[in-house]
Amino acid sequence: MNQGGNTQAVAPMDPNSIENRYGVDGSQVHKYSYQYSTGSDSAPWTGHSAEHQAVDNGNYSNSNYYHPQPTGPATSNAQEIPNTASFTSSSTSGTANMAQGYSGYTPYQTPSDPHNYSNTGYSSYYSGYQQQPSQSYPQPVGAYQNTGAPQPLSSFQNPGSYAGTASYSGTYYNPADYQTAGGYQSTNYNNQTAGSYPSTNYSNQTPASNYSNQTPASNYSNQTPASNYSNQTPASNYSNQAPASNYSNQTPASNYSNQTPALNQGNYTSNPYQNYTPDAANTPSSTIATATPVHHQQNYQQWSEYYSQTEVPCAPGTEKLSATSAYSQSFPVPGVTSEMPASNSQHAPSYVQHWGPETGASQPPSQQSGAAVSTSNDAYWVHQTQSLQAHHHVPPQNHYQSPLEMKPLYETPFQGHQRATYPQELNSQSSFHQAPLGYRQPAQATPSVDTQRVSKVQIPTNPRIASNLPSGFTKMDKDSSAAGAAQTPAYVSVSMPKSKDHATAMPEPRHFPKSLRGYVERALARCKDDKEKASCQDALKEIIMNAKTDETLYTRDWDTEPLSTVLNRNVTVTESSSTLISSLQNKSPTRRPKSRWEPLLEEKPFVKPASTFSSPVKFGAWNHQNENNKKNSEIFQKVDAAIGFKPTYSGQNSAKKNFQRPVKRQRFSGGAATAIDDEASSDSDKDLTPYYSSAVALASSAEEKKRRDSRSKRFERVQGHNRGNDLPKPKNANVGNVGNLHSRRATALRLSKTFDESGSRAVEDIDWDALTVKGTCQEIEKRYLRLTSAPDPATVRPEDVLEKALLMVQDSQKNYLYKCDQLKSIRQDLTVQRIHNHLTAKVYETHARLALEAGDLPEYNQCLSQLKTLYAEGIEGCSLEFAAYSLLYITLHSNNNRELLSSMSRLSEEAKKDEAVRHALSVRAAVTSGNYVMFFRLYKTAPNMNSCLMDLYVEKMRYKAVTFMSRSCRPTIPVSYIVQVLGFTGAASEGTDEKETNGLEECLEWLKTHGANLITDSNGDILLDTKVSSTSLFMPEPEDAVAHGDRNLDVNDFFTRT
Amino acid sequence: MAYVSMGEAHRRITEYLNRFCDAVSYQDSSTLCRLLSFSSNSPPLLSLADALNLFQDASSLIRQSDKFSEYGEILAHLFRSLQSYRVGNLVEAYLAFEKFANAFVQEFRNWESAWALEALYVVCYEIRVLAEKADKELTSNGKSPEKLKAAGSLLMKVFGVLAGKGPKRVGALYVTCQLFKTYFKLGTVNLCRSVIRSIETARIFDFEEFPRRDKVTYMYYTGRLEVFNENFPAADTKLSYALQYCNPKRERNIRMILKYLIPVKLSIGVIPKDELLQNYNLHEYTKIVQALRKGDLRLLRHALQEHEDRFLRSGVYLVLEKLELQVYQRLMKKIYIIQKQSDPARAHQLKLEVIAKALRWLKMDMDLDEVECIMTILIYKNLVKGYLAHKSKVVVLSKQDPFPKLNGKPVGS
Repeated sequence: MNQGGNTQAVAPMDPNSIENRYGVDGSQVHKYSYQYSTGSDSAPWTGHSAEHQAVDNGNYSNSNYYHPQPTGPATSNAQEIPNTASFTSSSTSGTANMAQGYSGYTPYQTPSDPHNYSNTGYSSYYSGYQQQPSQSYPQPVGAYQNTGAPQPLSSFQNPGSYAGTASYSGTYYNPADYQTAGGYQSTNYNNQTAGSYPSTNYSNQTPASNYSNQTPASNYSNQTPASNYSNQTPASNYSNQAPASNYSNQTPASNYSNQTPALNQGNYTSNPYQNYTPDAANTPSSTIATATPVHHQQNYQQWSEYYSQTEVPCAPGTEKLSATSAYSQSFPVPGVTSEMPASNSQHAPSYVQHWGPETGASQPPSQQSGAAVSTSNDAYWVHQTQSLQAHHHVPPQNHYQSPLEMKPLYETPFQGHQRATYPQELNSQSSFHQAPLGYRQPAQATPSVDTQRVSKVQIPTNPRIASNLPSGFTKMDKDSSAAGAAQTPAYVSVSMPKSKDHATAMPEPRHFPKSLRGYVERALARCKDDKEKASCQDALKEIIMNAKTDETLYTRDWDTEPLSTVLNRNVTVTESSSTLISSLQNKSPTRRPKSRWEPLLEEKPFVKPASTFSSPVKFGAWNHQNENNKKNSEIFQKVDAAIGFKPTYSGQNSAKKNFQRPVKRQRFSGGAATAIDDEASSDSDKDLTPYYSSAVALASSAEEKKRRDSRSKRFERVQGHNRGNDLPKPKNANVGNVGNLHSRRATALRLSKTFDESGSRAVEDIDWDALTVKGTCQEIEKRYLRLTSAPDPATVRPEDVLEKALLMVQDSQKNYLYKCDQLKSIRQDLTVQRIHNHLTAKVYETHARLALEAGDLPEYNQCLSQLKTLYAEGIEGCSLEFAAYSLLYITLHSNNNRELLSSMSRLSEEAKKDEAVRHALSVRAAVTSGNYVMFFRLYKTAPNMNSCLMDLYVEKMRYKAVTFMSRSCRPTIPVSYIVQVLGFTGAASEGTDEKETNGLEECLEWLKTHGANLITDSNGDILLDTKVSSTSLFMPEPEDAVAHGDRNLDVNDFFTRT
Repeated sequence: MAYVSMGEAHRRITEYLNRFCDAVSYQDSSTLCRLLSFSSNSPPLLSLADALNLFQDASSLIRQSDKFSEYGEILAHLFRSLQSYRVGNLVEAYLAFEKFANAFVQEFRNWESAWALEALYVVCYEIRVLAEKADKELTSNGKSPEKLKAAGSLLMKVFGVLAGKGPKRVGALYVTCQLFKTYFKLGTVNLCRSVIRSIETARIFDFEEFPRRDKVTYMYYTGRLEVFNENFPAADTKLSYALQYCNPKRERNIRMILKYLIPVKLSIGVIPKDELLQNYNLHEYTKIVQALRKGDLRLLRHALQEHEDRFLRSGVYLVLEKLELQVYQRLMKKIYIIQKQSDPARAHQLKLEVIAKALRWLKMDMDLDEVECIMTILIYKNLVKGYLAHKSKVVVLSKQDPFPKLNGKPVGS
């Protein structure tokens, strides 16, 4: 593949055929790079832009992404070589332009000798590679190296750093688009990484070891299938190179060298790329425009994620928070990846697996980008800080024309890339579904500087939204609720390192602001070095500045900011702006409820993702990210100190020096597991044992670590053979999934084997009696604990004790949570002993009633489904009472006509005579016809617990009624009538008089909160102005809404119960 | 069971094998259909079954000849199924038939042309019918019926074979209809959605190109689904399509369609003629139609109660119940007309008291609050134009078209 791709690229440029395109692109890219190297002409740039655009053309959605990229390079080019016109033209060009662009490319090549170009290109590549991180590099490099590796060195450094950043953005985008490029990668890669890198800055910047580890030839070879990527990367490289030339002129090489460290980091991440390429391989044929688009998007998203991560590192980099944020992002990414495949139905299978690894890779890239970004980060910072530079950046991106200072420009392009990618990334991470939107946003962002900023802000929001969306994620993590996952992907990831902080913060949404404050304080407190503290503070300051400038935006987005920005925001909040805090509080409430569950989620999501997604890769990525973050943070600090680019570069350099150190810091920030992490996370270790290190890194507590270790071991056992491969990431991902499956299957097999050797016996024929436990425990009280192994008879209570336990619960004065817990344990004991009799029915009935009383519908449903089978078995119990409940439940809550019909048709004649059932049927009639008068009369006369179920519908019914009334009645309705008709009785009042007034007050309050317009007539009666109200009524968001549906089930209760 | 000699048994089996192989090699679909059609209980098949039960070792016969052994797997399962079917062991028969069907579908997949579509239809039909019978047997034995569910997944597999491009696609709708029947019987109607999506979104094959009988069946079932969803306009189009193209000689089918179409039409304000109900023996709707004409709430409620079971089972109960509002509208209109005759100037003012009195005559006891509530709903749903003056307890009707007709739109739209 590689060779083929290379040859094609080098030799003929056939812009005509789409398929060729990719190959062509790759070749073009090379050529471009060459051209650039030879003499950075505006033409080459245009070529680049054209390429990018061409890519865009291929994939519609991609176009957005691409645009940012092209703009980036274009801007750089424009700055350097003001060929703005050419750029713009290229950018504007559609698919048709593609061909043109190609043609254009070829001409470019002609002027200079390919070899020479290649040399120059190499240099540029190198630079680009360094930053771009290994992955993209290797591919393009390979080809380049062939031509002339040595030359690049000189040009290298300068362009390298810039190009690197540029290339990053470019590469990210491109990779997805150009899958064919893969061939390039393979050969070149190794060569470059090994030889060229060391020779150049690389050796300085990034440890050779890292490269070797990260970009082992083997990996690349594996990746080679990803030809597309390689193509992309080359493009990026080109862009990089072109700028690089400029850069070299403008910016000192030293800066580049700084950047290169980032590249080194990138190398780490390179692994992900490898993964990536496999994907490409999967979809290689997909080069077709339609197929590719999807890939592109995904890639972009991933890239974007990287960017976001990098961003995060930047802000938080110094702080632990940043690291955490990065983690969180990465987490979502996996989820995204998983989902992505789903979206790409065709490619889905392969994608999924690959994606997992890719995500991991993506993270590393982000890290790299972070490092690379470091240059870009500076820009970033500028943006955040809203310094002049930031502005500069924006213009360039928007209009290539803006001829700012070379340095600023450079930065800006980078930033632009990053930003552009950011939105995308964020979107992608947060929500797969949203991904398209995110794309659009990025595209938008590029057009205007302001918009870009906005996009940044928005991005955070999107992620949050996305967080909710990541259903795919949730799927992956069955345990973790989807909502939880969605909500706190970032958090979760963050929590891993800082589990305590998050746990405390998240659990209590209401106190979130405080927790945030505490969080920040803790973050600061955790800073073990002065450096860290300084960086942390710097980050905070920047955040604050941003908040001030963009305050409105921030306020708007506070809810959704958690991922990367959260850290920043939190910091800002804690530090200064009380207003921000307030905004957070206001907006957070809706989210908060869900967040309660985060503590649980944190653990589970982490573990599961790791296991399922081949966490090793990710983890490795994490580590990388951490390192990057650290670097970034350092860089940031430096940057902060000196806004100038050079200073930042120096910062990077320093980062290099500190390279390993930063990693440790981050881990510290990460949390309890730091010690282990540190050991495990050493660079070399990462590559070798990504699996472990990742696991370790994620583990926030020792227990978790243990658990995770055991889990990973389990996988090893199951699929040890797989793990032997050189490609840890992809395989791990597979292993994770497969491993789970296997283990599950294995147990199932064991079971079935023991019981059905002949293979003909059905499950139902298994002699369960032999397995049934006979309990011996005499304790009446027992806490519920979900069984994870075969029950121990010593802890299981026999039937007579259970009967006492039930009585005890029934007479207990304790709260519902206690009773629920006790009943669950009773149920468990019954199940374990397979007791199916009146006692069982009684227990479930008791629990169902209690659950109804407490409004705990999920628990109620569990009980009801059990009761249905029990009743079906002929156990008497109060079947009619529960038939009525079930009818009511279907009518009022499930709103499913078919279900309602079938449950109605199942009612026996006898049942229809039962008072409760009749009541339920009348309620149903009232609800279906909207007869609110009837409904509230029935509400008052409800037998049993029917009113409890109706309770939950009262609000809706009242709203419906008032809407009806205000639409139909003119001119007014006395509120007293509404009180009477809609069953406002007032809360807990004794005397009748009092009751009436209470009811009136309650009704007034209710009407007010629902937007009704009230007037007072001459008699002092309060009337509802129906005409006005008919348009002003609204259903307010329930203030006390909680994810689990019952605000009484406060998390605090769980904690205090112990 | 008549006595059959061993030689006769051998002859019958060999003849069957020959005919089967000939049918396949000559691509004679109709013969193949006859050979596979269990439920037809055709004499040749029954005698073959007897022969098989006597001979017992048919598989050795199959192995004897290369010609037979090519379809050995298919035939062996088929024979076993036939044997069990003959002796009344339906569960066994189903299991064997399922294996046969799998093998047959595998073979069918390899045939490039769609010549055997008819035979595949037979297989699909038989497996569904056999599964239903097997489930009946299972339930009578106190076991959980699950064979129909299994048949559903097998049909889904067949659907997958047909749903692609190419000449076989034309058979996809038949399988879809079998799937619908299965799912409706199982009560897992939501599973229909994926099949529907693949039928309706596939642009490679025009829906009109499917066989008419399948189209009618398909429209009937999707129409029923829309009734469940109370999406009356869509249900109306689908069921009307089914009615229009249904073979007019198939009165039973027409009746089935009308059973759903009439409630749908009623709820969008179209009232059928009495002859239609008479001709197709749809007496359960007679009273309801009358109630709608007269505005007789009591009659409607009685009719609903009378046929409650039937309506609940067919799933139109809730639809019919919602006709109540139209009945109210009719009643109001009647009051309005009467008032107009006595006092045209004030006819547009309906006193709630008057309405309550009218309802009392219908033996519907309602107090003013309830009447007001109902009037509120009527106005809100645009069945009555005007407003309700709460203070004076009067409904003031619009002077223009106070009782708008539905004109084919559902209530409240």
